[in-house]
Amino acid sequence: MKPVYLKKVKRNDRLASWAISIGGLAIIFCVIFILVLIVEVSLPLFMSPTARQIARVESGFVSSNVQVLAVGMDDYLETAYTIDAGGTIRFINLADGRELEQIRLRPAEADKRLLAVENFGRLNHVLHWDDGSLSVEQVKFSPFYDAADNNRRSIRHTLESRGEFPAVPQQVEQSLARVNDEGRQTRVDLFADGRLEVQQREVTENFLGEEEVTESSEILELNGAGQLSALVLNDSGTQLYAGTATGELLHWSLEESGEANLVDHLQAFADQRRITALSMVFGDVSLAVGDERGQVSTWFGVRGDSSGKRTLTRIHQLTGHAAPVDKLSHSLRDKTVLSRSGDGLHLDYMTSERFLLGFNPPGGISRYALTARGDGLVALGENGDLLSWRLFIPHPEISLKTLFGKVWYEGYDQPEYVWQSSAASDDYEPKLSLTPLIFGSLKGTFYAMLFAVPLAIFGAIYTSQFARPKLRGMIKPAIEIMAAVPTVIIGFLAALWLAPLIESSLGSVFLSLVLLPAALMLCILLWQAARKLEPLKQVERGYEFLAVIPIIIGAVALASTLGPGLEQWLFAGDLKQWLFSELGTRYDPRNCIIIAFAMGFAVIPIIFTIAEDSLSNVPNSLKAASLALGASRWQTVWRVILPSASPGIFAGTMIGFGRAVGETMIVLMATGNTAIMDLSIFNGMRPLSANIAVEIPEAPVDGSLYRVLFLSAVILFILTFIVNTVAEIVRQRLRAKYGRF
Amino acid sequence: MFNRTPKEMNKYWRVGEPMVWLSGAALSLTLLSAAILLLVIMVSGLGVFWPSPLQQLELKDGSLLVGMQTQVEETADHSGMRRQYKIANRDLNGLDFRWIDEAQIVSSSTPADLLVLERAEYGDFFGRLQTLEGKPASLDQLRQALHQVETARAGLSELDQRLIEISYRGEQLRLKLLKIDYHQVAANEPQRIELSAEKQAEADEFERLVKVQSERLNRIHARTAVFSDANGQQKEIVLADILKVYTPNTMSSADKARFYVAKLWELVSGEPRESNTEGGLFPAIFGTVMLIFVMSLFSFPLGVIAAVYLREYAKEGLLVRIVRIAVNNLAGIPSIVYGIFGLGFFVYGIGHSIDVVFFPERLPTPTFGTGGLLWASLTLALLTVPVVIVSTEEALGAIPREMREGSYALGATKFQTLLRVLLPMASPGIMTGLILAMARAAGEVAPLMITGVVKLAPTLPIDGNFPFLHLDRKFMHLGFHIYDIGFQSPNVEAAKPMVFVTALLLVLIVLLMSSVAIRLRNKMKKRYTFGTF
Amino acid sequence: MTPIKIENPVIEVEDLRFYYGDSRAIHGVDIAFPEKQVTALIGPSGCGKSTLLRCFNRMNDLIDISRVEGKVLLDGQDIYDKNTDIIELRRQVGMVFQKSNPFPKSIYENVIYGLRIAGEKDKSFFDERVETSLKGAALWDEVKDRLHDSALGLSGGQMQRLCIARAIAVNPKVILMDEPCSALDPKSTARVEELIGELRENFTIIIVTHNMQQAARVSDNTAFLFEGNLIEYGLTEQLFVKPQNKQTEDYITGRFG
Repeated sequence: MKPVYLKKVKRNDRLASWAISIGGLAIIFCVIFILVLIVEVSLPLFMSPTARQIARVESGFVSSNVQVLAVGMDDYLETAYTIDAGGTIRFINLADGRELEQIRLRPAEADKRLLAVENFGRLNHVLHWDDGSLSVEQVKFSPFYDAADNNRRSIRHTLESRGEFPAVPQQVEQSLARVNDEGRQTRVDLFADGRLEVQQREVTENFLGEEEVTESSEILELNGAGQLSALVLNDSGTQLYAGTATGELLHWSLEESGEANLVDHLQAFADQRRITALSMVFGDVSLAVGDERGQVSTWFGVRGDSSGKRTLTRIHQLTGHAAPVDKLSHSLRDKTVLSRSGDGLHLDYMTSERFLLGFNPPGGISRYALTARGDGLVALGENGDLLSWRLFIPHPEISLKTLFGKVWYEGYDQPEYVWQSSAASDDYEPKLSLTPLIFGSLKGTFYAMLFAVPLAIFGAIYTSQFARPKLRGMIKPAIEIMAAVPTVIIGFLAALWLAPLIESSLGSVFLSLVLLPAALMLCILLWQAARKLEPLKQVERGYEFLAVIPIIIGAVALASTLGPGLEQWLFAGDLKQWLFSELGTRYDPRNCIIIAFAMGFAVIPIIFTIAEDSLSNVPNSLKAASLALGASRWQTVWRVILPSASPGIFAGTMIGFGRAVGETMIVLMATGNTAIMDLSIFNGMRPLSANIAVEIPEAPVDGSLYRVLFLSAVILFILTFIVNTVAEIVRQRLRAKYGRF
Repeated sequence: MFNRTPKEMNKYWRVGEPMVWLSGAALSLTLLSAAILLLVIMVSGLGVFWPSPLQQLELKDGSLLVGMQTQVEETADHSGMRRQYKIANRDLNGLDFRWIDEAQIVSSSTPADLLVLERAEYGDFFGRLQTLEGKPASLDQLRQALHQVETARAGLSELDQRLIEISYRGEQLRLKLLKIDYHQVAANEPQRIELSAEKQAEADEFERLVKVQSERLNRIHARTAVFSDANGQQKEIVLADILKVYTPNTMSSADKARFYVAKLWELVSGEPRESNTEGGLFPAIFGTVMLIFVMSLFSFPLGVIAAVYLREYAKEGLLVRIVRIAVNNLAGIPSIVYGIFGLGFFVYGIGHSIDVVFFPERLPTPTFGTGGLLWASLTLALLTVPVVIVSTEEALGAIPREMREGSYALGATKFQTLLRVLLPMASPGIMTGLILAMARAAGEVAPLMITGVVKLAPTLPIDGNFPFLHLDRKFMHLGFHIYDIGFQSPNVEAAKPMVFVTALLLVLIVLLMSSVAIRLRNKMKKRYTFGTF
Repeated sequence: MTPIKIENPVIEVEDLRFYYGDSRAIHGVDIAFPEKQVTALIGPSGCGKSTLLRCFNRMNDLIDISRVEGKVLLDGQDIYDKNTDIIELRRQVGMVFQKSNPFPKSIYENVIYGLRIAGEKDKSFFDERVETSLKGAALWDEVKDRLHDSALGLSGGQMQRLCIARAIAVNPKVILMDEPCSALDPKSTARVEELIGELRENFTIIIVTHNMQQAARVSDNTAFLFEGNLIEYGLTEQLFVKPQNKQTEDYITGRFG
């Protein structure tokens, strides 16, 4: 051999060896990497929220003898403002602590002072002046490029007055006011003597296009409740809630101007604890209640009985404080509730009851505000420092409980498993419970396996043990061909051909379920006599399955002719109607019967092939030994072959199960895709796989829905991975035992 | 005799003969269901293009109805039968199908002068020819006129082609300008001026051609004919909208066969019409083939290299065992999981990165950061790599050890042995794996739905514009086509024939590939049994 | 035991020990093989004779867990030395296996396989070598008309001779034969044995066999191995007629094995 060539050959060998090893390993690990990647996408769902302090403005920007009553911040976390008791609003650049501007809110009456400031909506402030008058001011921010200053981006701030309420003569304990976009103004005053008065002013346009003003004022009936200790009005000013010092909750509807209606009055806490703070939750459905024990709970009206009357019910209990809750507010973006007590400020998410973040800076927090986007918090410490944080709360609505447990959603009468990923408005509660989807997957799989497993295993037994070898050589490829039929075709046939067929002849379908076994039994009995005839005996040499075909066809044909008559006779002509009226089950044309047939059809070949392989790999010697001892062919199969092949049959069933769980197209087409939890065979379902296919095109990248869908893929992956691994290990053992594959 | 029967019966049951029969019945049921599936698809799919007679019915209320019978079933109250007719003329009737109780029918006939018009819009038209361009005319004259229109349109196609080219160039120029904008090239740079001028020139040319085209089209569209439906209602139809005209009642069997073949050809070569429910499947077939081809380019070498590594180079041990289990396992992972991976990793991960690096000027409009042929192919390649790995491994494992030893004993290196002995011997097995993988890819829909398949792709992934192969484009696919027209189309009843035809085509493709693979494998099995004496 | 005197040793083995994992299969064997003679290795199943044979062309390297200690000298050079080229070695020490293993290629391609992988491309050289090798393996007359047919169409005995032709085509010094006739019918066995007799003209042959008659028929020298030890080594007629060792005698008289 030429040395040069030898060298070349050896170099090639080394190179190839490296390339193949690296390539092979890389490919295999890339493929396995899938799991890692899907998990990586879904993991942020469970990340704890974090907050990063982005600015701190030392005290002194406002003179220490003026009390700051409110703070606020723009959406870009660049400009903050304070409103102080002197009636001045100051805008402060958070980056350098520079004061940008200060505006007197009521320049004409300079001696007036502010008593309190209440916030609602998007940077709306209700200013409560010391003469009893109220004014509503809204702060607005907008970014712009300053042409004068080298096109630098800066934030423009403006003030807009949204409403004025005149002074009231009496001493007022607490006043609330709302101005909504339709021009309706509501003012609620709690006087020192305990009276609660509502004044409403509505501006409407009559049919001539003229403005009409309706004004009303009334004292609300307190129904003998104790001393009022907390009040809250929803953003539109139509619902008023009050809490008392003795643990009562009151709810008035102010929808009809001048006709306030006490809709609810209940003893919320049996131990008569003082209710110290109230707030609506974003969406104005739920009410957050804070009490002197530091507990925070949310409530909404639930239809308790058939009368349809809604009663306030405690729904969620959020993480408590160690000290009485003195202030509650809510996010403008989601169902986050902010609560403050002596031990600091908490952010909790209502639906998931997750404790998101807690703030307790050394100086304490006297005033705070969350930005409208919910990603920034500004707070004024007791020591006068102005602090701001950027919040990272990626998926507050997700917790293990909301994903898998029963959750009591707003507007529902009891806790339920619900999947409803989107709704018309943006203040809805996302309902991302995976339980109904997992249930759907398992339900469909269960019915499919119920249909497929017996057929596949018995078919495999027959093919491997009784059929003629020549026929076996034809049956096996036929079944393999069956495995190759694309599931989209099975699904479309099931939905567009089978579903209408079964729907129109439901009676016949059930009849054939009875007639088919009956006919088989009858024929087996008859056969007992017929087998004695010599030419017929040939059939017992592996042609039985062919002889059975006419019987099956005959039985089904008989059922379909008798079916309508039977339906007429027993169920007054309409089985579906009968099912609904007598059993209360609704017949959904795309239901589990269809799924059982269609998915069963897709799964049969898989189970069949693996079971057949393991059955025919049982050494012939075992079979021969059993037959030699005088066992019949079925006894041999039942007592000798099946036990030896059972791991293979088990493996086949598992792999079939894994396939059915993840099947997408069939269920997508042949079920109604409704996420209900109902075992009825006449209903459809929505499995994990179809849910992914339906929802992912609409899911915003990296949003909660997107990640939850990835999580459901992870669940599918893990489910099938476990099932397949068990099957694969069993199969490898079996191979090792019989030395062949 | 009567005494012995129960005893025999007992024995008959004890030895389990009935169970044999029951297991036989299970097999028969399985085979029957498979046969029924194929039969339904065949019967419904093959019959679609065969022209059935056009019946004219006289109903009890005195009205006439022209239609093709499609179904017969019992009425809801079991009083008699009712028939479903395709009555077409969607623009006049609002619907394509109508159920008629047999009791309503007074008489039925098949007049020779009834025509079927295939139209570009509103589906078929059933009726009679009244006038052609204002004058009464015969069918032959109509055909002649249609032929003229056809020729005129063919002359326009050259113009169409030029328009497409110009708009493509215009789009390229727009993207170039976008890039220049992105790099903040000043407005007075010669490069920008040049590009702007060029773009303007293209736009002018485009406008001019459009004008020419619309003029000519107007001339063509001016030619119309008037037809009447069963009840004499008149309808003027633009000749250019008529794609085909035939008289099913006077056609001989040979005519029908010719018609059938023509329709088949249209099916495989034509473009879809009427939201995919009419016309051809060419873009879907082409998309499917491209998808399989690109997928094979990835999954074949990757699968073979991985299998060769596992079987020939890796040291047997726990790791390899685990990897083998994992690989076998991956074949059982639901396809939708691969799909969502493809979306998260390829589309939003790699695709987005490509956009950020290479096409930042086009953002936020994604180029690769959205579903496309490349990503769908890669996803399917991942899905099918386990199939290739498993079958290649099995083929390599089935080669007797003596073959390797024989080669080494002659002084061959491992690589030489692999190339010259092992791979050639394993090739049928590898081919089997590849074909099975391709068949699976052809039938798989779920992962494609989220990685780039669309119901109607404006352009094919291959065209005459540089770089000729556009892997970032969206594409059509036969399997998705079935799902789309069967479930998303506005008129499911009218779409049914097309669904069945598409399903038939897909089944044929997949079954053909699978049976080739199965035959190959069985042949290979026979060959290896020889080696072990 | 009386070691025979070797004039021209082609392969010399010094204290060879062979391990499968932790268990030792060959316990220090010293043996030398004379040039252009046939040496038979006999012994009961599992005595290590095949393992020993496979040490001579390092075929055992293919087993991951194996390990070799001691020396095997080919023309005075240790084949287990780091610098020994395993490919070069295997070209000098050919091998014929128990099961005939022609590649699924044509007869012609089978014979020239060793040449092709060595980078030979000359067609006429191939033709010539195919003819001489097949003639050398006494197969030429049977297959000369169907050189380009598949080798798998040959009979069992023909295939084994084809494997021998394939081995001699690269012109090795030594041919190792690992029970070459065990899978053959008596008639084919006779042909192969006859062939071995002819091949000794040009090659040194080491043959492993469990068939003592065969060893007696074809070999010049015989070595008896038992449980990984070389028990006796001598001229074939001496060893069979007058074994020195009790175990050898027991074995050749059929008391065990």
